Amino acid sequence: MNLPGTQIGEQLITLFAAGMLVLQLLLVVQPMLLTNIRLFALQSLLLAGIAAIVAWFNNATDVYIVAVLTVIGKVIFLPWLLDRQVRRIRIVQEIDPFLGAPASMLICGALTLLGYVVARPVTLLGRLGNNTLAIAITLLLTGFYLMINRRKALTQVLALLTVENGVMLAAVALTTYGMPLVVELGIFFDVMVAVMVLGILVYRIRESFDSMDTSKLSKLRG
Amino acid sequence: MTLIFLLVLPLAASLLCLVIRSRAWLERLNLIAFSGVMALAFKIGMDVSRDRVISAMNGLLRADALSAFVVCLVAFVAVACSIYAVGYFRRDERAGTISGAQLRRYYGLTPLFVFTMLLVPLADSLGVMWVATEGTTLASVLLVTFYNRKTSFEAGWKYIIIGSVGISLALFGTIITYYSAVVVLGQETHHGMNWSELVGVAHRFDKSSMRLAFVFVLVGYGTKAGLVPMHTWKPDAYEQAPVPTAALLGAGFINCAVYGIARFNVLAAKCLGPEFSGKLLVGFGVASILVAAPFILAQRNFRRTLAYSSIDHAGIMVAALGFGGKLGALGAVLHMLFHGVTKPLMFFCAGNVQQHFGTSYFWKVRGVIQTLPWTGGLFLMATLAVTGTPPFGLFQSEFKILSAALAAGHPWAAFLFIAGVVAVFAGFLVHMAKMNLGSKQFVSGEMAPAASLETGFRWQYGAMALVTMFATSLSFWLPGPFYNLLEQAAGIIGGTQ
Repeated sequence: MNLPGTQIGEQLITLFAAGMLVLQLLLVVQPMLLTNIRLFALQSLLLAGIAAIVAWFNNATDVYIVAVLTVIGKVIFLPWLLDRQVRRIRIVQEIDPFLGAPASMLICGALTLLGYVVARPVTLLGRLGNNTLAIAITLLLTGFYLMINRRKALTQVLALLTVENGVMLAAVALTTYGMPLVVELGIFFDVMVAVMVLGILVYRIRESFDSMDTSKLSKLRG
Repeated sequence: MTLIFLLVLPLAASLLCLVIRSRAWLERLNLIAFSGVMALAFKIGMDVSRDRVISAMNGLLRADALSAFVVCLVAFVAVACSIYAVGYFRRDERAGTISGAQLRRYYGLTPLFVFTMLLVPLADSLGVMWVATEGTTLASVLLVTFYNRKTSFEAGWKYIIIGSVGISLALFGTIITYYSAVVVLGQETHHGMNWSELVGVAHRFDKSSMRLAFVFVLVGYGTKAGLVPMHTWKPDAYEQAPVPTAALLGAGFINCAVYGIARFNVLAAKCLGPEFSGKLLVGFGVASILVAAPFILAQRNFRRTLAYSSIDHAGIMVAALGFGGKLGALGAVLHMLFHGVTKPLMFFCAGNVQQHFGTSYFWKVRGVIQTLPWTGGLFLMATLAVTGTPPFGLFQSEFKILSAALAAGHPWAAFLFIAGVVAVFAGFLVHMAKMNLGSKQFVSGEMAPAASLETGFRWQYGAMALVTMFATSLSFWLPGPFYNLLEQAAGIIGGTQ
C-alpha cells in the first residue's frame, strides 16, 4: 500500500462511505415511499463507486465486476422493480412509522456511536478503508431499526436492502481485493431472487389482508 | 463426480417438474430423484470414510466426514418426506383443500430446497456456503406459504424477514472472518474463503476481528437454527407449512445451520482458543433449552410443540459444540444423527392426526390410539425417543453431552441442561399421553371402523415404517464404517483433524 495514489483512494472511500451513511439517515426521516426508493438507489450508486475506486487502486479486475453488478442490480433493476410495484398496487405514499423523525434521528445517532464502539478494537489495525467498518456496522444497525420502525411490508424490504448495502460495503472496502468471484455472483443472485420472492409475498399479503401493514400480521402466537 | 451428480439430480428434478402436469409423474419424479440422492449420499459416505476427503469442480465442492454425514442425514429425511408427501397431498386433494397448481409448486420447489440443503455442507468456500444457506430460505418460503391462508402468509413473512436479517449478519461475519484471514493470506484471494485453506492458518488470524466475526456468524446461523432469542419464526413456520416441508425444515435443515456454526467454531477455537466461542455457544444453547421448556409445557397446539422441541434440540446441539472436547464433539454428531432419524416420525404422526381430526389443538383430539392404532402407538414411541428416553439413541447422545459438560467444568450449565431436558420430557409426556390415550373419539360424520380408516394412510405408513426402522436400529447398532465416519466427523468438529 505504498503507492502515492493510495492516500487519495482511502480518502475517497471514506468520503463515499460517509455519503452512504448520510443517505441512510435521510431514509430514516423521509416519509415518502418513492423518495425512499430513490435514496436507496443513490446509496447503491455510492457503493458501486467505492467498488470502482477499490478496483482502480488495487488493480483488482474482479472488483470492477462487482461495481458493474451493483449498478445493474441495485441502482437500476431493483429500484425499477420496487417502483413498479408501488405504482401497480397503488399504495398510500406515506410510510407511517411507529416513531417520528426526531426520535428516530436520536436513536440513529446512538446507533452510529455504537457502530464506532464495536468497530474500535478492529479499527486499530490501520489498513485501507478501516473507517468504513464502523460505517458498515452502523448501516447494519440503522437498517434493523428501519425494519422495526416501519409497518409497511415494502419498506421492510427496502430496509433489508440497506442492511445488504452495509454488508457489501464491508466486503468491498475491507477485503482489498474483493471476495472470490463465484461468491460475489452468488450473493448478487441471492439478493435479486430474495427481492422477487419478497415481492410475490407482498403482493399476496396485500391481496388477502387488503393492506400492507405488517403489524396486522399478528394471529400466530405462543 | 459423485458430488456433482448428487447436486445435479435434485436440480434436474426441480426443472423437470416445471413442465410436468400429471400428478402421478410429479410424485414418481420426486421419489426417484430423492432415492437417487440417498444412494449417492450413501456412496459419498463410504468414499469419504475410506479416502477422508473427496473434492470436485476445482475444489469448489469438497466433502470430508462432517459434510458427508450431514449430506446423508439430509438425504435420508428428504427420502422419507417424499414418500410421506405422496399420501399426504393425495388426502389433501381428496378433501379439496389444494389445487393442481399448488401441488406442482410443492413438487417443483422441494427438490430445489433439497439441492440448496445439500450444497451447504458440500461447499468448501464459506461464501458459497452462505449463498446456499440463503438459498434454502428462498427455496422454502413459498412452501411455508403453501396453503395460501392468511396465517400462512404471516408465517411466511416472518420466516423470510427474520431469516434474511439473520443470514445477512452471517454474511457480515463471514466477510470479517475473511478480512482477518487476509492479514495472513495476502493476495491469495481465489481460495481465501475456502474452509480447508483457512483451517490450516487460523491460529495466525487477527484476533480482534475474529472475535467480532464469530459473534455475527453465531447470531446469523443461529437464527436459521432457531436459537433463542432469534427463534420466533420457527413455531409459525412449522405450524403453517405442509407436514413434509415442516419435517424437512425441522429434521433436515437444522443440521445444515448447526453445521455452519460448527465450521466457524473450529476456526474461532483455533484462533482464540476454545474459551471464547465455547462460552457463547453454551450460553445460547442452554438459553434455548430453558426457553423452549415452558413453551412446551404450556402449549395448546401440537404442531407448534414440535417447533419448540426443535428449538430445544438445536440448543442441545449447540451447547454440545460449546462444551467441546472429544466427548462434546462426538455428542454433537450423535445428537444430530439421532435427532435427524427420529424427528421426522414426530412430524409424520402429527400430520396424520391433523389430517384425520382436522385440527392441531391438543384438547380437541382424544384417543388417537383407538382410532388410528398405528399412528397413536408410533406417536407415543416417537415422543419417548425424541425426549431422550432410554433405550433410544437420543438418550445416549444427551448422556454424552452431559458428561462433556461436567468434564469441561460447566456444572451449572449441566444442571440447567438436565432441568430443561426433564421439563421438556414432562411437558411432552403429559400432552401426548392425554391426546393418544383415553377414550375413542370419532370425527363427526366418519364412523368407519379403525381398520378401514388406516388404509387411507398407506403411503404415510410406508414413510413412517422406514423412519422407525432407522431410528430404532441405529439406536442399538451403528454399522462399523458408518461409526468410523461419525468419529471422523467428531474429529473435525473438535479440531483435531
